[in-house]
Amino acid sequence: MRSNRIGMQFTASALALAVSYGANAVTDEDIMNDHMTTDDVVSYGMGLQGQRFSTLDTLNTDNVRNLQPAWAFAFGGEKMRGQESQPMVKDGVMYVSASYSRVYAIDAKTGEELWQYDARLPDGIMPCCDVINRGVALYDDKVIFGTLDAKLVALNKDTGKVVWIKKVADYQAGYSITAAPIIVNGKLITGVSGGEFGIVGKVEAYDPNTGEILWTRPTVEGHMGYVYKDGEAIENGISGGEAGRTWPGDLWKTGGAATWLGGTYDPVTDSLFFGTGNPAPWNSHLRPGDNLFSSSRLAIDPNDGSIKWHFQTTPHDGWDYDGVNELISFDYEDDGDVVHAAATADRNGFFYVLNRETGDFIRGFPFVDKITWAEGLDDNGRPIYADGGRPGNPADVSADKGEPVLAQPSFLGGKNWMPMAFNQETGLFYVPSNEWAMDIWNEPVSYKKGAAYLGAGFTIRPVNDDYIGVLRAIDPKTGEEVWRHENRAPLWGGVMTTAGDLVFTGTPEGYLKAFDAKTGEELYRFNTGSGVVGTPITWEMDGEQYVSVASGWGGAVPLWGGEVARVVKDFNQGGMVWTFKLPSDRVAGN
Amino acid sequence: MTSMRWLTVVVLVLFSGAVWAELVLNRPAERSYDIVIESGYLNVGVYENFPPYSFLREGEPAGVDIELGRRIAAELGVEFRVHWVVPDETLEDDLRNNVWKGHYLARTRVADVMLRVPYDKVYAYMRDSTGEVINEQVVLFGPYQQEQWQIAFDPEDLDAVQTMAVFQYHPIGVEIDTLPDTYLTSAFRGRLRDQTHHYRNVSDAFGAMVAGDVSAVMGMRAEIDYALAQRGEHGFRPASNGFPGISKQVWDVGMAVKHTHRQLGYAIEAIVDRMVRNGELAAIFDRYGLRYTMPGFYQEILNDTVNETINVTTGG
Repeated sequence: MRSNRIGMQFTASALALAVSYGANAVTDEDIMNDHMTTDDVVSYGMGLQGQRFSTLDTLNTDNVRNLQPAWAFAFGGEKMRGQESQPMVKDGVMYVSASYSRVYAIDAKTGEELWQYDARLPDGIMPCCDVINRGVALYDDKVIFGTLDAKLVALNKDTGKVVWIKKVADYQAGYSITAAPIIVNGKLITGVSGGEFGIVGKVEAYDPNTGEILWTRPTVEGHMGYVYKDGEAIENGISGGEAGRTWPGDLWKTGGAATWLGGTYDPVTDSLFFGTGNPAPWNSHLRPGDNLFSSSRLAIDPNDGSIKWHFQTTPHDGWDYDGVNELISFDYEDDGDVVHAAATADRNGFFYVLNRETGDFIRGFPFVDKITWAEGLDDNGRPIYADGGRPGNPADVSADKGEPVLAQPSFLGGKNWMPMAFNQETGLFYVPSNEWAMDIWNEPVSYKKGAAYLGAGFTIRPVNDDYIGVLRAIDPKTGEEVWRHENRAPLWGGVMTTAGDLVFTGTPEGYLKAFDAKTGEELYRFNTGSGVVGTPITWEMDGEQYVSVASGWGGAVPLWGGEVARVVKDFNQGGMVWTFKLPSDRVAGN
Repeated sequence: MTSMRWLTVVVLVLFSGAVWAELVLNRPAERSYDIVIESGYLNVGVYENFPPYSFLREGEPAGVDIELGRRIAAELGVEFRVHWVVPDETLEDDLRNNVWKGHYLARTRVADVMLRVPYDKVYAYMRDSTGEVINEQVVLFGPYQQEQWQIAFDPEDLDAVQTMAVFQYHPIGVEIDTLPDTYLTSAFRGRLRDQTHHYRNVSDAFGAMVAGDVSAVMGMRAEIDYALAQRGEHGFRPASNGFPGISKQVWDVGMAVKHTHRQLGYAIEAIVDRMVRNGELAAIFDRYGLRYTMPGFYQEILNDTVNETINVTTGG
């Protein structure tokens, strides 16, 4: 009996191995067509353009109330911080990352763990905004992700064993990686996260099979880009042409502009779209000039890392309005012509529609209720700064705390990292946004590393009594807000939309929610037990439609105090992935 | 066998109390004075890689703060253990991560006492926007040194530094994201900005002065004095200029403990107070080639003592 059972187990696992090798490798074609295939999710963004739109309509507004939990999986351990990951699914296996640079492979039918990988993190890493990870990339037989100590790790997708590890940047200099890398035509593309000071952002391409670097492109004016041939670095032009055009002194050497949220890719123009973070130092009075390419979107040639065009949303940023938010490619018709456009909802409160071939500004408009730092955008999309809207120079400080400057949105942004979605049927963007303001003042007494220092104090506060988060349906052609759904806590999770006229997102209160894409009516809610700050996905398996989302409260919001903390302080941490399905006998909607 | 079993029980009992609970609950150990003495060691928090205060020299902790920490531990009769502090953006972060709460990546790793914490009553009682005292979880105590700003220059480039105006024309190196950095890039309407070169630390800036990239370096006096002593062969010299318009010219440096560990703080304060008064601290600074200034707190009370003595004499 006993030996028999072992024998059977052996046969079963040998079979499983035989199945998983060979036929089931993830190919470039799989990734390039991810937005059209419904039986897998093999790219961050459910398609490289990042639309997060599924053509599945089995699950729809009529039957979504019958959506049922299929299984839940706990990440385990005591490492329950923010879970901002987007799961991937391929051939009945889910690959999902979790806080503290962990990755799991899970049987997508049963929720049973296949393997788990825990990155061994060094002491003394100082990630700015929680120990989160946003997802993995799949390629061939590998699962590839970035770690908090700024490495890329490739694992065998069947065993979870390390294939290669590559250091992208020095964590001791302040770098880390939290975004999901992407695969574009056989190249693994990643950005870097970085602390507030001293780092320079970059976008890099690696060989996903070996981890060898292919090219590097710094995102601050004055730094040389390189392509690598046979291990040799060949100069490929200075970002922005030369140093010092838009920066004073030598500040370009430490200019910031971290590419911490990764990027998207558009096959029509063969361009990578990466956003860049705020410039350093934070005090804008020390660095007069536009400070390129901080707080910008860059179109980058995936073949050699050259910058094709840039669009700067916040020139001379003085509010910490990182320009990292995802730029999503989409097409629309204008007088019978197809416009190849791309859209982004910036931290600074403006929604931008750009020509994705040239980077030219098509239109822009506020997507939040109020913007105080700018009066609007000019014909080129450049902000018209409001008088008195810029935080003062701490170097002008007197003995007293200066007059606070009110800025709206707060530095956490009209929209932060959480990705929006574009529905090809409705033509609308679904934007997870927040209504909050910040007071900034010059701190009269401040110290840093044993020394006197000049700091700014700030506090974030809600604008309204009863809500901070607003899920918005935005028409990119008109700027109209078609509908809105208000949420008491700030929204911090990504959005996904489907051809079944549904919009899915999560809330810090713990709910996975579904809305009618046309009206905004809430059609479904399920409490996952901890705040949802991950991004949902949907796919089809055995003829049934599934939805998955990670649950686990955390991210940047609970790390910042002030009055927002009062709204979120009672939310409990967690660490799970929840999977739902519409049983085939409930499709009719009864 | 039996004795082994008993040993296991004893070990379990020892671990079953506070230590075990804290491991399970993932929070810092409550190491009060009695527990520190009983445990036989003291975790002393000092900034990592921060000469001449605290750094590694040939693999061993060295620096004036390390020497002070060793003396404190010795006087308490316990072993000195170094707790390296990775600096965060502000002191408030460092106190949270290393003294009272623990960093969220390493919740149980805190220091029993942290050195090089500025001693400033205004800072200690500062309130946030909601009226809460920001640093209420820690006690700042025991000032042991006064620190100030200092420039060193290369006499081959500059005859002297009489005023800051010279740095409109000559390059000066500075550690990034420090008050001297802000000062050089913003004071005098930004007229020194283009001559300001940024480095990761004062040592790198001195390296640039050796290479001829900058004519001067600005930093804390102890850092500058130490770098001058280390690179004596180059003939660099300390300047004696003032720093008009800088918001804070001098400040006192002391220590911090968690607010529930005041008894430990009192014991350490007594040790350090003696070292300030009897010149032991000055001697430590001298061994590293550094000038030493007593904290303003002592300058006041000791001067008062001197004045009183004089008064008594003249009055008599």
